[in-house]
Parts: sequence; C-alpha cells; structure tokens
Amino acid sequence: MDSTLFHYLDYAVYGTAILVMLIGFYGTMVKKSLLKIVISLSVIDSGLNLLIVTIGYYKGGTAPIFSPGFLKNFKDVSKMVDPIPQALVLTAIVIGFGVTAVALALVIRLYRHHGTLNIDEIKNLKW
Amino acid sequence: MVGTPVLFIAIPLLAAFLIPLLGMIWKELVRIVPGLVLTYLLILAINLLNHVLVHGPIVEVIAGWVPPIGINLVFSAFSGFLVTLMIFLGLLVWIYSYRFKRNVEYEPALKYFLMLMMLITGSVGIVLTGDIFNMFVFIEITSISAYGLTAFYKGRNSAEASFKYVMMGSIASTFLLLAIMIIYSQLGTLNMADIARKIHLMNPTLKIVSYIFFVTALGIEAEIFPLNGWAPDAYAEAPGPVGAAFAGIVVKAAVYAIIRYTYTIFDLSSSFSFLIIIGMITLIIAETAAIRQEKLKRMLAYSSIGQMGLVLVAFGFGTKEGVFAALFLMLNHAIIKSLLFFSGSYLVYNSTEKNIKEVNGMSKFLPVTSLLFAIGAFAIVGLPPFAGFWSKLSVLTAAADSNMILIMVLVLMVSVVELVYYLRVVNRIYFFKKEADTKPHKPTFNALFVMLVLGAIILLIGFYPDAVTGMLHKASASLMDKGQYIHNVLSLK
Repeated sequence: MDSTLFHYLDYAVYGTAILVMLIGFYGTMVKKSLLKIVISLSVIDSGLNLLIVTIGYYKGGTAPIFSPGFLKNFKDVSKMVDPIPQALVLTAIVIGFGVTAVALALVIRLYRHHGTLNIDEIKNLKW
Repeated sequence: MVGTPVLFIAIPLLAAFLIPLLGMIWKELVRIVPGLVLTYLLILAINLLNHVLVHGPIVEVIAGWVPPIGINLVFSAFSGFLVTLMIFLGLLVWIYSYRFKRNVEYEPALKYFLMLMMLITGSVGIVLTGDIFNMFVFIEITSISAYGLTAFYKGRNSAEASFKYVMMGSIASTFLLLAIMIIYSQLGTLNMADIARKIHLMNPTLKIVSYIFFVTALGIEAEIFPLNGWAPDAYAEAPGPVGAAFAGIVVKAAVYAIIRYTYTIFDLSSSFSFLIIIGMITLIIAETAAIRQEKLKRMLAYSSIGQMGLVLVAFGFGTKEGVFAALFLMLNHAIIKSLLFFSGSYLVYNSTEKNIKEVNGMSKFLPVTSLLFAIGAFAIVGLPPFAGFWSKLSVLTAAADSNMILIMVLVLMVSVVELVYYLRVVNRIYFFKKEADTKPHKPTFNALFVMLVLGAIILLIGFYPDAVTGMLHKASASLMDKGQYIHNVLSLK
C-alpha cells in the first residue's frame, strides 16, 4: 500500500515538473509583455531543474555527503541519492540566472528605446 | 610538446576576466591583451595540430579524474582543425576591430573585447570537450556572449534582435539540458565516449527523443531552417566583425556538436538521411530568402544559413568523401564569409539603412574593398579559380559517389540562385552610378590588412587546394573512426 502510494507520488512529482515547464512554454508564446516573457523563460528553467533533481532521487535516500564514521556502515553509502543531478542543477541555476539577467538588461534597453513593454509595438524587425 | 589542450580554455577565460583589471592599469591593454592571447593560442594550436596529425589525438584529463568519471578534452585531427580555424578567425576579427571606430569609447571597447574572448573560449570549449554537460556549459558561455555582442550598438535595433536571440537561445538550452538528462537517466554517464560505448543499451524511443532534442537545441545555434529566425536580425544588427565571428566561429562550433552527436555518440542509421533532409530544406529556403533581401547583411546572413545547410547535407552522406567535402566547405565558408562581412560592412559603412542599393558605384571610391568583395562573392558561389570551387566540387562528387543524383541537381540549381543574388550586388558595385547621399568610408589599415590576408588565402586554396586537403583527409578520417575515439578516451589510466 505504502509503496504504491509512493509510486503515484513519484509520477506526481514528474508530472508537476513537466507541468511547470509547459506553463513556462505557454507564457513565452502567449504573453505580450516582455517582462512576462522573461518570467516565463525563468519558469521553464525552474520546471526543468525540478525534473532533474527528481531523476536523482529515490525513496529513503540520504544526502550524498561523506562524513567520518560513515564508512563503517556501508549500507548508508548505498542509500545516498545520486549527487550528479544536484551538481548539474546548481550549474543550470547559475546559468539560468545569467540568462535572465541578460534578458532583463535587454528589456530595460528596449523600454528606453520604445517606451513600451508590449511586444506588439516593438516591431522594427520582422518577427 | 609545447602545451596542452586545456590552455585553449584556461588562458582566454582568464584573459577575459582580467581585461577590466588590466584596463585600470593602462587603458590600451584592453585592446592589446586579446591579440597577444589569440596569437599565442594560434601558435599553440598549429603546433598541437602538427603533433596530432603525426602522433594521433591528445586526450587531456582534467583535475586527475580519469574518464568516464571526470571531464576530458580531446584534441584530435578533427577537433584540432576546427580549433585552429576558429582561433585564426578570432585573431583576424581582433586585428580588424583593434582600432574599430576611433569613436568607440573605452567602456564599450572593454565590453566588446571581453565578450569576444568569452565567445572564442566557449566555441573552442564546445569543440574540445568530451563531456556532454560540459558542452552545455560552453554552449551557454557562447550564447550569453553572443547575446551581448548582438546588442552592442545602442543606436540600432540591436536590443530587439538580441532579445529574439535570447528567447530562442534560452529555450534551446532547456531542450539541451532535457536531452542530456534523458541520456543520463538511461545510461548514468555524461562522458561522450562512455555514452557511445553504451548507447545500444538505451531504450530506442528515448534514444530518438533525446537525439531530436539535441538537434533542435543545437540547430538554433547552427541556423538550421525552422530554428534560424534569430540569425538574419542578429547578423544585421551586430557590428560587422561580430557577424564574421558568428559565421566563422559560433556556427562552426554548433555544427561540430551536431556532427559529434550524429557520428560518434548516437548509432541511429536514420539520422544521416535526417541530416540530408533538414540540410536540403535549409539550403533551399535560405537561398530563396536571400534573393529577396534588401539589406546587404541580411542577404549575407541568409547565404550563411544556406551554406550551413549544404554542410549538413554533405555530412549526411555519411561517407568519407562526404565528411571531407563538409569540412572543406566549413573551412571555405569561414574564410569567405568573413571576408564578405568585413568588406561588405565597409561598402555600406555610412548608410543608415544598410540597403544593397547603397553599394552602387562603390568601386570608384573603394577599389580594393570592392575587388575583395567581388572575390569573396565569386568564391562563395564556387567559380573556378577561387577556393569555393573545390569545396562545391567535392560536395558534388561526394553526392555522385553516394548515388544521390537528385541532391546533386538540387545543389546545382540552388547554386544558380546564389550566383544571381551575388552577381546582382557585384554588378551594382561596378556598373551602377553612385547615388549622391552616402559618403564612402575608407577602411582602416588593419581592416584592409585582414581583408587582403583572407583574399590571399582564398586565391591560395583556389590555385593550390593540396595545401589543405591532406589535413582535411586526416580530420575526416579521425571523425569517422568512432571505435578509435572511444578507445583513446577510455583507455587512459
């Protein structure tokens, strides 16, 4: 009973992550405000990061940190969750932050140049 | 041995972040240091390439973690050739823009050179790395500096072009990370050689899904057809030398990544015909779009997209001749398109609209620049005494060897379209009367020097193609030999 419940929860986490990503995609395609588009891009990143952390997790896992006395009990080592997805997510968060910063800087430039954030009114180039 | 591959990443990255500090000591250092770094790297690249062509690839282990656990860099004949080409072009871009616009202040110049160094670091990293997540990081470094360089000029619509690029690039990075995670969750490794060894264990559906995600993500950087919406605007709004850097460095790195995934990592037999199809569509759409352009740089950008399509077609043959032709095309495209961007940006220097009309009668005012533009135009179309002839010929023979007559016919038909729009511009330069309103701008000494070097290389390869074909044959052999790649990386102790 317990394990099947967990099974569903497992899918629920994956589903949530993918749903967050889809919300982000929806936002980038539908929203007209430049700021909302930047936020949507950031939402996509968050969803993806959630998905990646979920891939590395399994039931009953512990944090992947070695400490003195840990090696005495080898079972604990095998219970560690996979640290690589977490390391990747950290990198991905930093990169996402950088991209968001660049995008916001561009939004400021566009606002100063055009006096609006509406994407329909910024049409000097063909979109 | 004079150095190791890691210097190609460490030195320019260090230099990029030291540039603002060095600028505090003496402002001219901001302009000088990138040149010194690139010169050193070029010497290093040529030395290492010579070493590699004789002794086989160098695999560098980073921080003592032996692959498949740690990150490794692979300097083979194939990646070494691309690294040398990129650094050479980077050096030319530096020479060209060393004194670019005396009116550019200290602050923008600092940012420009900083981002240029980051762009080169990222692109070289993409080519050298042997780890898919590391490649993702380098792709992001490249893209973020490319966004910045696109938005360099404040007066133009550059922020708009750059924002477009950011949107596509950011979605591309999502797909790339997703593809990487699919592979990781299936195989538990991020090392390219290790993945290539285990790829047959993967669920076939997930394998195709992750391949498609990879191609979609990298296709945005490599300007493949439905994903290249950012390219014409970014090329048109970015400074002239940056256009050359995009065509010569960034796109090459992205195409490299696609090819690495197709040839080495994945073992999908259908991916080759997939490359031919998307390459052909890109080629046809881009060349027909180029003929309708009114702005010179947009036309050059579409031509660049078309050439990349042709490169993918040549890679899609999957034969040794095809790879050779594709590498030859990449080399020629890098040199010729840079020359076209360099000379083209002087031909429309003082006009605001940068329309093709503005080049009318420029040959009387800028004879050398016009001549070099004409050489570039004839070379990229593939007329005989120039470099482009040999690469187009090798694509056609490769197609004939693979019995793909339809592809041959289509490539020839598209070449006619290409000939038409390039000749139209050259015709305007030489035989039209100048309109009074724009003043021609004399190229600086540095710019002229760079253009003459590129023109000389085009003629050299045109008259004596053997100068490069030996190296290209070795590079294509190194790409084709998947087993050797896996062995080289994983047999390290």
